[in-house]
Amino acid sequence: MSATSELIKGIWKENPVFRLALGLCPVLALSTSIPNAIGMGIALTFVLIGSNAIISAIRKGVPGKIRICIFIVVIAAFVTIADMVMHAYQPALHKSLGIFVPLIVVNCIVLGRAEAFAQKNGIWLSILDAIGMGIGFTAALTAIAIIREILGFGTLMGFPILGQSFEPVILMILAPGAFITMGLMLGGLNMIVARQKKAQK
Amino acid sequence: MNNIVQLGVRLLIVCVLSAGGLALLNAKTSPIIAEYKRMEQEQARKEVVPAASAGLFVLRDSSTDLPYYEAYSDPEGIQLVGYVFNTVGKGYSSTMETVVGVDLQWKITGIKVTFQQETPGLGTKSTEIRYGETDPWFQRQFKSKPAELIKVDKDGGEIQSITGATITSRTITDAIRNNTKLLKEKVTAREKRS
Repeated sequence: MSATSELIKGIWKENPVFRLALGLCPVLALSTSIPNAIGMGIALTFVLIGSNAIISAIRKGVPGKIRICIFIVVIAAFVTIADMVMHAYQPALHKSLGIFVPLIVVNCIVLGRAEAFAQKNGIWLSILDAIGMGIGFTAALTAIAIIREILGFGTLMGFPILGQSFEPVILMILAPGAFITMGLMLGGLNMIVARQKKAQK
Repeated sequence: MNNIVQLGVRLLIVCVLSAGGLALLNAKTSPIIAEYKRMEQEQARKEVVPAASAGLFVLRDSSTDLPYYEAYSDPEGIQLVGYVFNTVGKGYSSTMETVVGVDLQWKITGIKVTFQQETPGLGTKSTEIRYGETDPWFQRQFKSKPAELIKVDKDGGEIQSITGATITSRTITDAIRNNTKLLKEKVTAREKRS
């Protein structure tokens, strides 16, 4: 039971984007199109799994005083791996994600999970936690990207779905569009959670 | 004191292992990345001078600040059809690289933006391919225009700039114009010498 709940909590109850509101910079910047969102989600999930696993494995040998330094070194190593592998084998995706792949290193989700979970739990639970958080992040990013891509470009996965007469709303692909979409979705989800809580009482 | 040494040693171990692993991976991926970049450039040269797509490109002036390629329509390098050069310009949020092809009358035969990290949705439209089309609309409009005279519409020229990304459009256009002038001087000087 607890293993499944560690996996699932990242997707809904502790969704990094909508519930914890962490790592919003790439969420705002890369939710302009669905392929970007999924690519970024996969890269972040890879880094999360790698760093959570290693940090959990070495947690007993990490002195508390310098744990952040060690976590960052481990995270940076995995980010560089993701960057190099993506550059070599997925050059087109690497190009469109641009600076945001190296910037995963400062993503609060990754350090947050290392600090809050991996350094206190075993390897398997940490990996499950990372997978759940990664899926939650990817799902949130993709959900925002779907709305922004439809309204901002009039397309879905690059295919026009709203017809020729539709005038794309440029605002939606700019930063304000990201904030508006995110804010409304966050508010909507909070409303659903609040109602659920009320119903339980 | 002892404690500090111990902390340092542990951090050192983690750093050495990380760096070692990355060095190994870098040795594996960097040739692939370099090869990809070389192929991308080669492909770009063929695209910007379609007349030489089955021909030969000869690098000239590789040690100067404007190396360029002579484009020949045949593999033996007899029939010169144009020149190819790379431009680098500071855009709105990145340094953009463009490969430019011109014919012997200094008309543009094609351009290809090979690197940019401009504002998503605005400056990135410089490489956008509209649905149902095969080439980027912004870059297509440079074709068969005189390379030394091109300007964006806001500067009184006929290159239609990208909505909301005038700086991006202007950087590409101005870099092509200025480098073409430079290249023309070089080529003329070279012809006089020979």
